[in-house]
Amino acid sequence: MNVKEKLLKSFFVENPVTGLLLGLCPTLATTTSAENGLGMGLATTFVLVSSNVVISLLRNVIPNRVRIPSFIVVIATFVTIVDMGMQATLYDLHKTLGLFIPLIVVNCIILGRAEAFASKNNLWDSFLDGLFMGLGFTFSLFILGSVREILGTGNWLGMALVPGDWSTILVFVLAPGAFLSLGFILVGMNKIARVIEGGK
Amino acid sequence: MDKQESGIRIIGVLVLIAFFAAALLAYVNKITRDPIARNMKEETKRAVRIVLNTLGEIHYPDDPALKKLNDFEARYFPAVGKDSALVGYAIIVKAPNGFGGDFDLMVGIDSTGKVLDTYVLNHKETPGLGDNMKKEDFKKQFRNRTLENTKWMVKKDGGDIDALTAATITSRAFTSGVKRALLTFKALHKGKQK
Repeated sequence: MNVKEKLLKSFFVENPVTGLLLGLCPTLATTTSAENGLGMGLATTFVLVSSNVVISLLRNVIPNRVRIPSFIVVIATFVTIVDMGMQATLYDLHKTLGLFIPLIVVNCIILGRAEAFASKNNLWDSFLDGLFMGLGFTFSLFILGSVREILGTGNWLGMALVPGDWSTILVFVLAPGAFLSLGFILVGMNKIARVIEGGK
Repeated sequence: MDKQESGIRIIGVLVLIAFFAAALLAYVNKITRDPIARNMKEETKRAVRIVLNTLGEIHYPDDPALKKLNDFEARYFPAVGKDSALVGYAIIVKAPNGFGGDFDLMVGIDSTGKVLDTYVLNHKETPGLGDNMKKEDFKKQFRNRTLENTKWMVKKDGGDIDALTAATITSRAFTSGVKRALLTFKALHKGKQK
């Protein structure tokens, strides 16, 4: 499979959120705005790429019976690095996302890719897999965050889209709105995925 | 991959992985510790300028002092003006029982006990609802209020404060936070006059 095809596939067909329905907890919790979704997505991408690379390098060293604990240690290390790095550089974003960054450890996308892909494939393929999966995740978080921010607050990435005295649909910023938006986005993304796969 | 693996090898690999992970984290912690501490301190110092903005040129210490009251404690920055006379305090209190737990609130109070401005240092309130407490529309009603001239409750509970739409719990916490700051001010001021 060539790189372009794989990229397209990880955005629509095998997208972690809309295709595989993995990692929904951070997806629903952090997408109150497009910016938060983007930040969470990129943090996860970094962890995913790093852990995929390391686990791919160690795939012949790690004994089969303790592979899960080993993966978790590797993943947790990178999550902590992201947490500290973000606090040091992007302090304001960390203030909004802070609660959810440590939870990247238990995001099943990352352990899933480590187990299903990185532990069986070479360094370069694992790197690409992590990158594309991460970008696919970021993409769907960004869309979900945008929908909720626009409908819920009338803003997008800090720009006001509707006049301040218009009332907006507040529920979209709250938890129920996350489920609603995700449902409709799933419908749309599945349609796109089918078209890409050849109208099956 | 189903060959028998020796226990020693398993333990060895796990220990090695954990060792390298710990070493890497220790290193990252070492290089990020100072920037993180600096970020937090800078935000707090910036907040003092914001909440005491109307006082003009002020000077205040780098680190806040601690004041313990009966049922809570507060940190505060005393601010002095050009002629080294005390012009106000920036008081940091925990606003209790917000929608996402307690949050840190900084309240600027001038030397007569009037609220000048407020600043939320960190919080876990709902974005789009509770975090509207940072907006001017909500904040402005607190200005110039004192401990005595206001009933420090939201209107729903019989007080004087307009709650945020759909975020009464946050508004309650915020209101009690400001009240705590004013109580702290009173305690500090009493100590001064004695």
